Amino acid sequence: MFSSSVTRRRVAFAFVLPAFVLLLAISIYPLLRTLGLAFSSLELTVSPAESFVGFDNFAKAFQDARFWNAMGNTLVLVVVGVAIQLVLGVGLALLLSEIGFTRVVWLTALLLPVMIAPVVSGFQFRVIYNDTFGPLNYLIKTISGGFITGPPWLADTRTALLTIMMTDVWQWTPFMMLLALAGLESIPVELTEAAEVDGAGYWGAFWRIKIPILLPVIVIGLLIRVMDTFKTFDLVFLLTGGGPGSSTETIAFYTYLNGFRFFSMGYTAAIAFIQLIVIIVIARVFLVVQKRMRGGEVQ
Amino acid sequence: MRKKKPLYLRIIMGVILMVALIFFLFPVMWMFLTSFKTQDQIFSTPPILIPPAEQWNLDNYVAILRDNKGLQGVRDTTIVAFTTALISVSIGALAAYSLARFRFGGDEFSFWIISTRMFPPVASAIPLFLIFRQLEILDTHWVLIIANSVFNVPFAVWLLKGFIEDLPVELEEAALIEGATVFGAFWRITLPLITPGLVTAFLFTFVFTWNEFMFALLMTRRAVRPMTVVISSLAGGHTILWAQIAAAGVITIMPGVLVVIFLQRYIVRGLTMGALKN
Repeated sequence: MFSSSVTRRRVAFAFVLPAFVLLLAISIYPLLRTLGLAFSSLELTVSPAESFVGFDNFAKAFQDARFWNAMGNTLVLVVVGVAIQLVLGVGLALLLSEIGFTRVVWLTALLLPVMIAPVVSGFQFRVIYNDTFGPLNYLIKTISGGFITGPPWLADTRTALLTIMMTDVWQWTPFMMLLALAGLESIPVELTEAAEVDGAGYWGAFWRIKIPILLPVIVIGLLIRVMDTFKTFDLVFLLTGGGPGSSTETIAFYTYLNGFRFFSMGYTAAIAFIQLIVIIVIARVFLVVQKRMRGGEVQ
Repeated sequence: MRKKKPLYLRIIMGVILMVALIFFLFPVMWMFLTSFKTQDQIFSTPPILIPPAEQWNLDNYVAILRDNKGLQGVRDTTIVAFTTALISVSIGALAAYSLARFRFGGDEFSFWIISTRMFPPVASAIPLFLIFRQLEILDTHWVLIIANSVFNVPFAVWLLKGFIEDLPVELEEAALIEGATVFGAFWRITLPLITPGLVTAFLFTFVFTWNEFMFALLMTRRAVRPMTVVISSLAGGHTILWAQIAAAGVITIMPGVLVVIFLQRYIVRGLTMGALKN
């Protein structure tokens, strides 16, 4: 049907046009402006003059220990945090898909964390994690009968990043859950039933029917979560301000510091570009994997 | 009917759901209870989980809505989030259809669309601010709708592309053979079948926009003041108004809850190949 006739091409173009125009209009200028700045020196604290410096900003980034620390922290959040969100989210979706009429209540309740603005939840968690007035350590102490004293979650370099990660898991697992649930809903019931009748059992049907059909949706969900976690800013800004020390600085937060605190615009632009390149590489890998899987499905 | 699961699985499921519910809902409950506390009760040791019943009142809610421009915040945020979600899902569905069915522009074009979402917002905020100032649309609803579309249109396109690719193409082909236009096939066949995807995309673009903070802070002043900006102003002075922030949180969560309750039957109804045969 969707062959290469001229009318069809026009229709295809017309369908894409609104999105294309909108995205081009709002992305091209920031991109070009940032690219120009990345090769310039513009220190707003010194002067508003911009001068070309070649690759200096990029060279600086590669020698900047604080930049690498921020990259490392971000990767921990992306790799470990998103993996936890994936497993929990798909697991919960599978549970919910088995539940009958009470599902409305469960689903609504489990989606609440996504609906709370980070600005709001950030302030709640600052109190929750607080080691003097916070309920978390109070509960740990009460439940363990006074044996365990919880750490000062956000003030200890060993737990601060973990705390950010747990908050991210709390906020975004429901997102993976809903995507996976929507994917599960599109699986014909007959298919799983037929597999179970054929003697595949619950787990057989799970691995052979549900997971393969879910994979394309999951890969897209994962890609979106990886991209967004790479940009983690709000939580760090609200919970720790990057501290203690630089132990929770993410790359987005470090970019913000350079731009809005140190007013080092050239360096900010260079770091932003490095991030863009890293995310593009990661996204490419994801899409190649997804394509392979789709290819395998057809055969 | 579905086959009964093994008993051990049902028990494990119940336990896991309970644990998950406690983990995900405790902070929400904490926020709800905090919204009825006084400033002193927030900093007591041991912490007060539930404020004494006779002290419950709506002071914090009244304060936020009346004195701190909360009503305006809710109105502005609703306008921006609803419009952004509507635009993103509409033009996103069209583009997704073209990408999925005509392979328009091939993989590179699809990738360009998603890549517009990858640029760090911290870096794009300043250039965008400069353009919008030039266009004299700062401090309007449109500026936030346009800025938020940068993240939400690519999201909607990619999500819906996945859903459309999972549909068998034969149904649309049949419609075309019977004389439908491409748009007709898209409108009457494809869209109804990807309803769960459309609802999911709408819900998340709505929530992403509803909760967005950085652009809202940078690009609005007085005429428009989204809820996230109102909330951050409660922590601006020397004291952080914890209880009012919590009350504002309870207020801002309401529309999202309504959207989920109202739309989730579409997600749950889902679609099955069996239904298609009829």
